[in-house]
Amino acid sequence: MNWLLLFFHFSKFALLCFGGGYVLIPLLITAFVDEQQIMTLAEFGNLLSIAQVTPGPVGLNTATYVGYVYGGAIGSFAASLGLIFPTVVLGCSAVFSLQKWKQSFLMNGILKGTRLAAVAMILYAVTIFFGMSVFTSAIPWHELGRVFLFQCPEIPDTFRISPAGAVLCACSALLVWKTKIPTTVLILSFAAAGALLAFF
Amino acid sequence: MTEKSENTILEWTPLRRYLLLYVSFFRITALVVGGGLAMLPVIEETFVNRYKLLTKEELLDMVALTQTIPGIIAMNSAVFVGMKAGGIPGAFSAIAGAFTPPFFIILLIASCFPRLNPDNKYLLGAFAGVRACVTGLILVSACKMCRSAIKCKFEILVVAVYFILALCKVNPALLIFSAMPLGCLYLHITLRRKAAAEASLKTKSPDSEKEA
Repeated sequence: MNWLLLFFHFSKFALLCFGGGYVLIPLLITAFVDEQQIMTLAEFGNLLSIAQVTPGPVGLNTATYVGYVYGGAIGSFAASLGLIFPTVVLGCSAVFSLQKWKQSFLMNGILKGTRLAAVAMILYAVTIFFGMSVFTSAIPWHELGRVFLFQCPEIPDTFRISPAGAVLCACSALLVWKTKIPTTVLILSFAAAGALLAFF
Repeated sequence: MTEKSENTILEWTPLRRYLLLYVSFFRITALVVGGGLAMLPVIEETFVNRYKLLTKEELLDMVALTQTIPGIIAMNSAVFVGMKAGGIPGAFSAIAGAFTPPFFIILLIASCFPRLNPDNKYLLGAFAGVRACVTGLILVSACKMCRSAIKCKFEILVVAVYFILALCKVNPALLIFSAMPLGCLYLHITLRRKAAAEASLKTKSPDSEKEA
């Protein structure tokens, strides 16, 4: 497959993925594991965990990696550019129309509704991040929901509180809430703290 | 809103503005593990608090927009902030800044670890530390966001319903789209109520300065 095809493949994925990088994953599995068979599912799983632990957006990291497996450095460049391209076009036109119709009733109503939904999305993101740091796996909401049906929830063994993660998370929340410490300093010092904890 | 931002960053020369966008997004994607919404607290700190380029409401618009248009959230945010600060060239410099660090980091990892399993426990520990830190940051920013965006009991209910729907794994884009007509309806009702309240006030005191 040449790099132009890779570019268009990833443009297609970007257009299909509503709601962020995690939606991209099933699309990539279908295309590259099931259809093209350039990697196994286990390899893809490894790749995904690397994309999640390294800095940067998960979707972009995954695209760069898959591109590299496919066609080296040029491949990864083509794949990530392809992923970004539709976003730039759509995003620019969206912001443009947002500014143009700022005064209209319709736009104000739309923004009123989407702002409330956005708050809910951020709260949802908080629960996802809790599953990645304070707890050892994603929060099992479907099991916890059974409490409302007066049933005992079956918490899986992989779901435990991670003490180090909980303490670090509480520290960073307190620091950013009570002090004016820059986030760059905060993130770097927490990286050092995490590495230090791994030592013990 | 616009006056406040015009006083600061929009007075800069375009080149300086583009450079700021590039460097800021470079810093954000080079540091933040978890992508997408994890970038939100850092974007808030940089562009809302320090450079006064966005308001809190615009930050929420950004979150809504990034979930509505297809593509990865991080890049959509970069386009939004870039467009606000410097038009289309601004959007491109923000994108370029956000693109550079992850691209080269992954390229480095992919060429050094062809077997795809980094087992350096210190490196993994450092990344876990960053993840915990980002969790704290996003928790605080979510609390602040709730305080500034939710103004009455009805709005608490709306946010709660959307939160539960999101927990049930309903596609976020679908949720945001469904909120658009609801928002129009809500605005319509609140405006009518306000008009009715003003009208009743006017009948009580005919000298009120409603026309002004």
